[in-house]
This record gives sequence, structure tokens and C-alpha cells, in this order.
Amino acid sequence: MRRLGLHIGLILVSLAILLPPLWVLRTSFVPESLAYSTKLLPEVTLQNYVDLFTQKRFGTFYFDSLVVATGSVVLALPFAAMTGYAFARFKTGGRFARFTVLATQMLPPVAIVLPAFMLFRTVGMTNSLAGLTIAYAALNLPFLIWIMMGFFEGIPVDLEWAAMSDGATAWGAFWRIVIPVSLPGLAAAGVLGFILSWNEFLFALVLTGPGTATVPVGLASLQTSNGVQIAKVAAGVILAILPLVVASRFIQRFIVQGLTFGGVK
Amino acid sequence: MASIELDHVSKLYANGAYGARDVDLKIEDGEFVIFLGPSGCGKSTTLRLIAGLESITSGELRIDGVDVTNVPPRDRNLAVVFQSYALYPHMTVRENMGFGLKMRRTPRAEIEAKIQETAGLLGLSALLDRKPAALSGGQRQRVALGRAIVREPAAFLLDEPLSNLDAQLRAEMRLELVKLHRRLGRTIIHVTHDQVEAMTMGDRICIMREGRIIQVGKPLEVYADPADTFVARFLASPPMNLIPADLTAADGTLACRIAGTASIAIPDRHRAAYEPAAGGKVLVGLRPEDLHETQADPAWQPLPVTVVAVETLGVENILVGQVGEEKPIQVSARLSRHFTAEVGRTVTLYADAGPMHLFDPESGKAIPRPSLAARA
Repeated sequence: MRRLGLHIGLILVSLAILLPPLWVLRTSFVPESLAYSTKLLPEVTLQNYVDLFTQKRFGTFYFDSLVVATGSVVLALPFAAMTGYAFARFKTGGRFARFTVLATQMLPPVAIVLPAFMLFRTVGMTNSLAGLTIAYAALNLPFLIWIMMGFFEGIPVDLEWAAMSDGATAWGAFWRIVIPVSLPGLAAAGVLGFILSWNEFLFALVLTGPGTATVPVGLASLQTSNGVQIAKVAAGVILAILPLVVASRFIQRFIVQGLTFGGVK
Repeated sequence: MASIELDHVSKLYANGAYGARDVDLKIEDGEFVIFLGPSGCGKSTTLRLIAGLESITSGELRIDGVDVTNVPPRDRNLAVVFQSYALYPHMTVRENMGFGLKMRRTPRAEIEAKIQETAGLLGLSALLDRKPAALSGGQRQRVALGRAIVREPAAFLLDEPLSNLDAQLRAEMRLELVKLHRRLGRTIIHVTHDQVEAMTMGDRICIMREGRIIQVGKPLEVYADPADTFVARFLASPPMNLIPADLTAADGTLACRIAGTASIAIPDRHRAAYEPAAGGKVLVGLRPEDLHETQADPAWQPLPVTVVAVETLGVENILVGQVGEEKPIQVSARLSRHFTAEVGRTVTLYADAGPMHLFDPESGKAIPRPSLAARA
């Protein structure tokens, strides 16, 4: 009886979590005119998806988001890895440096978005994917540094010592041993950085223009003076979360894989 | 081949703690030296200072007479085997073993030949394409050794390489290491806290405590003539019994009076050495194997012991008992496997005072006397 109650409770909680996204999925396949209908599937159509790509330039938004999210990770990760390693292994800058890096994350984005806009406008990088990529790399860097620092702290220093007594320099030990061993960590940090950049709205809104908008900005543009095109928004949301679903599968695999997989006892 | 000389080497950390303190030691070319001590005594730190993995705060380190104090580890030509084995987890056994040679830009064919030769020596030939995660503890340990051997370094630095193995494998690997040392003839420094490894493997033992070297010598010399109570107790299990006593001189004899219990006469050959300490307090150092259940030798002297426990080990029995009445001191005796006694009963054991030591109770230092090991 207690198990039955537990199961009913779990089913209710699961429904509370799953129903909204399932309703979004359902709405994305329903014609705009029937989107607010209470029927489960009054009519099934792919028109919302087709319209997004043909009328709303969603393909461009998607491409821009992919370029910016991937670019920002590629740009930030090497710096994050090297800084994280310096913090973890050499205690560079001590606790002060670590927490200064973390403190930069404490500012709400809205406080720095206007100064950032002024800066990017001065160097002529507003309304450009490169500008937004650099902004995202800078925004995500402290977070990625902390993730990588935690990973490197978990790697036994014996591995680097072994490499150094085997003839490697400190850089050689980092490059040939620490980086390959940290690949799961780098992948996890990369995926998290990608997700953060993919979801970011405020900087994208301020720093991009009509030709360089990302998916979140594109979704917001579906709210017009004539109201919200809810079926298209639903289709856009489904498209927007697809890469995140794939990414979360990756991150799970890499994190579960563990760190040093049998190198040290 | 290499001689290694530590000339008053110290390591001081930023928090003011010493990792190694005024370590002064010369290790001859081809010697097998054991660094022995409890956890945190500085033995692994000293090894890392030799390897160049930590910087020396003061003093000088010489390898083959050349000052290498500030030389990076890669240029010291020393191989280190870590307690954790530190195998590169993303590389196969072959790649692990060849890494050092690759770093030294050895031709590929030569690397492969050396890997094959070393793998054959250590029984690793069938495992060359496996990754460390697919190996057992013993196999990993051999790969770690193989990685060191294949480079043909000037010396091997082994940091508790056997401590993660089970008892049987440890005993096998102990023997393997000794054979390997004979075959390669290279200098080996082996760090351990295991007394059996120390006694059975090395040419010399270097006992450390709180970053300092307490005593250096051949295993039997150190066993027979411990420099102080720390060495006396650390080097064996069960440790040496240390019984407080008064050293008294009367009628031309010198004896240790143990309060309310017994008196153990000092053998004639040690009298001259111990006479200056007469009239003072001492600690009588008696090894458990120097207490016997029967008086096989008339020179052995009776010592009443109250039985606390008898540990039966199969090959022998360890009697744990108490000596003295007011402040009983716990003692151990290594007796025959036939010995039995009821707990709480007082039995008479017979002490062989020949190998007995006297220690100063204040400093813990041994009161000097002619060495038994030197005579042997």
C-alpha cells in the first residue's frame, strides 16, 4: 500500500515535470489557429517548422547560435584549462586570484551588458558573430576555469611527476598527460559552456542585429504586435532544446566515465 | 650507474614545516638503500628531493659527484616508481613503457626492442596492448617497474611500490626486486614503512623521523645496535621491550633493578661500558626473542611476567604480559608454539642479557657499548 502511494506520488511529480514540455511538443505540430484548443491533437502539421525556416529565417538563427556557442567554447576552453591548471597545481595567485575570478560571476549580466556594448561598438564588433563569440567566451571563462580547476585538483600529481622524471618538461607533462587524462573534464566543461552560450539572451539581444540574431533572440521576435505566434514559438522551442538534449547525453557520459580510469591505484 | 650524495639537504615548506632536515648521506654506486620510517617522517620527501620533483631549500645534492641541486628531474636520469604506480591511464602498457624513451628521442625500433626485452624480463609480453585499467594491482606494479627499467636510468627511486599489494604478492615482489637489483646492478633507493622490507631487501637501512636521519647502517647492525628507543621499537614487530630500571653497582657487579620484580645483571663484557651510568635510571631494552620460557643457558636470568594474552601465530606464540607491580610495563615475548599460560597468571621467563641494551630514559639514546653486530 505504501509502495502504491509512493508510485502515485512519483507519477504525479513526473507528470508535473513532463506535461509542459510534452504540451509544447504537441503545440508545435498543431496549426496556429488550433494551438489554444484543449484537444490533444486536433490536426497534425509540420507547417510551423516549415514557416520558421522559410518565413522567419530560423535557419540563420540556428546557424548563428551554433557558430557563437561552439566558437566561444573553442576560444575559452584553452584559457580555462591553462588557468585552471595553474590555480590547481601551482596555486598561482593563491586564494585571492581564485575568488577574484569567481567574483566576476557575481555581477548580474544586466550590469555589464551596456558597458560591454559600448566597448564592442568602439572596436566595431557589434552586430557581428565574432563580437558575440568573444563576449560569450569572456562571460563563460570564470565558470569554465573553476570547473577545470576542480578536475585538475582530482588528478594525482604523481602522474605529472612520473612524466617529468620520464623526461617531460612541466609543459610536456601538462600537454601529454594532464590534458588527455582530463578529456572527460574538458568535454564536460565544453558542453556546459555550449549550453550557457546557447541559452544566453540578453547579450545576444544587445550585441546582435537582424542579420546576426541567435535562437533565443529569434524566438523572442515571434512575439509581434499582433500577439504571440504560439505554435511557431513551440516549434522554435523544440528546435532550440534539441542540441541541449544531445549535449546533456554527452555530458552525462563524460562525467560518469570518471577521471583517471585505472592509472593510479 | 650513480652514487648519490645528500650534503646537509633540507626542505622547508612555506608553512614553516620541514619535509627533510639536514639530511646528510652518501649512497654508493650500485647500493640498495632503504629509507625507513613512519608516515610523515620525510622519507618520501627526501626521495622527491633526489628526483628533483621538489626543490631543495638548503644543502647540495650530487649525483656521481656532480651538483644537481637545481637540475630539473628530466636531466637527472633517475627513474621513480610511485606508490600509486602513476601509470598514464590513456596509454597502453607499451606506450607507458616507451614514454621515457620517446621523450629522449630514442629511435622507434630501439624503443620497441627495449620494451620487448623488459616486458619479457617482467612477464608483461602478453599485456603490452592493454591499458592500465585492464590490469591487476600486481601487473600495474610490474608495468611501473618496467617503465623505470626500460629507460636504463642511473638509479631507481622506489616510493613504497609494494604497499598496495596483498601480503603474498608483496613477498614475491620483494624477492623479485632483490633479484632485479642483482641483475641490473643499479643504485636503488627504496622508501618503505615496512620493517620486513627494510630488513630483507637493502644493503643499508636509513631510518628517518621528523625529517631527520636517525640511524644508517646494515640491517642487522641497526637491528642489533639501535641508536635510540625509536629505532629499537620501530625496526621489529613486536617491538623491543623497554623496561624502566635502576642501574646499580654492588660487589663488583652491575645490575638493572626493575621495581618490585627482578634484577638483571649486566654481562661482564658490557660492564665497563655501562659503569659510568651506574646509580642512575635506565631503560632496559630486551627484544621479544631474547625472553625464553626455559632456562636453556645458565646465564639467562629469571623475569616474572604476568600474562595478559597469548597470541598463537602457528609458527610461534607471542606472550603479551606485564612486568613490575606499581607501574606495570607491557612486554612481549616470542615463545615456542607449544607455550601456553592462563591469563592473569605470573610466569617466569628467562632473559638473555647478552644482546640487551640500556637507554637513557631522558634522551632515549642508547648508552654506547661494544657492538654485537661488529663482533659477528
